[in-house]
Amino acid sequence: MSVKFFGQFLIDQGEVDASHVREALDLMEDANPTFGEISVKQGFMTTRETVEASAAQRSRDLPFGDMAVELGMLTADQLVEILRLQRSQKLPIGEALVQLGHIETDRLGTLLDAFKADQAEYEVANIDLPDALVNQCATKYILELLPRLLMRVARMQAKVGDVMPFELAPDYADIRVSIPIKGTRGLEVALISDLEFAEQLAMAASGISPKDLDPEMVADGVGEFLNVLSGNAVSAVTKAGHRVELGPPDYEATLSDGWIVELAVGDGHAALVLSVF
Amino acid sequence: MSRKLNVLLVDDSRTVLAQLEHILNEIDDVSIVGMARNGASAIRMATESRPDLVLMDIVMPGLDGLSALRTIKSMYPEMEVAMVSSARGDAQKVEEAFRLGACQVLGKPFDAEIFGALIANTCVVLDQRAADEGGQR
Repeated sequence: MSVKFFGQFLIDQGEVDASHVREALDLMEDANPTFGEISVKQGFMTTRETVEASAAQRSRDLPFGDMAVELGMLTADQLVEILRLQRSQKLPIGEALVQLGHIETDRLGTLLDAFKADQAEYEVANIDLPDALVNQCATKYILELLPRLLMRVARMQAKVGDVMPFELAPDYADIRVSIPIKGTRGLEVALISDLEFAEQLAMAASGISPKDLDPEMVADGVGEFLNVLSGNAVSAVTKAGHRVELGPPDYEATLSDGWIVELAVGDGHAALVLSVF
Repeated sequence: MSRKLNVLLVDDSRTVLAQLEHILNEIDDVSIVGMARNGASAIRMATESRPDLVLMDIVMPGLDGLSALRTIKSMYPEMEVAMVSSARGDAQKVEEAFRLGACQVLGKPFDAEIFGALIANTCVVLDQRAADEGGQR
């Protein structure tokens, strides 16, 4: 189980196949207004400006809205408003599949309920966080998902400790893997551990025996776990309407000032280090 | 299951390759014909071994999974390709994968049951295709 989109869930359930999802995506593309169309309709941009912003995208890899803000054609508030309107006007894939006749209208509600139940594992409760981390919506997902994923991936139990100020890396931190989550404000998430924890995680996650385990594989196992954890957190945050993006993992992370969350684990020692950038 | 399914695994992580191998070895009538760690190797190995199914990560260094998917489907439209994703919050990449011809996008952490269903569905598709081709002769 992972954070997934409704179309993926429907294929998993055998309700539709990939060709149906492709048809629905085409229909959605035709039906959903583009960012530029909404910005013109709202009177935020002229048609000429949308053409200029689009042309500017050829030389710089920026989303259309960000490019328009950078060119002074939109304010940051207008960008947020257009994204909100775009979300609210979007034809959901379930509706598209109904329109195409691939799902019965009466069945859609049942399937949406089943999808919600499938994804319930990724809903988070309120966690007390320091003020500087409150706006980091990914933090809650990461802290909430970590013990569940550790159990699911490696059958390892873990209890998340309090969020404490971080100054110095613990002596046990032989393995230090980090991954950046880029958004309005960035968050660097590092998983640090001793070799005992890392080896247990790598073995359990990969299914290989201790004799086949080498140092690269151990670090890779920890990095892959952090990748899956952060990826699912980012997906959940994105589905909640926030714009965040995951960067590549760093297997020799330099730990910055921030916060540390010790993990009570059965084998060895481990902690998360969170830094805002 | 009426056929042996040849599968090519593609992921830059050795952990994930080992994990996929472990899961697929538990499924009857599946043969892993190769493992690649980037998109370019995937294309080369797909050409050499002509698998029935490619399981490929979306995000990889060098030639990424979506670029490799585009090439593989243009060269071998009949080859089934399921993409693997650690989610990463990018609905656009998932949609792009479907548009490029992926038969499914599987999320991490893996659910072994989903792989059983994927293999079974792929066999059904291949059997149906073989039956259609036989009927046209």
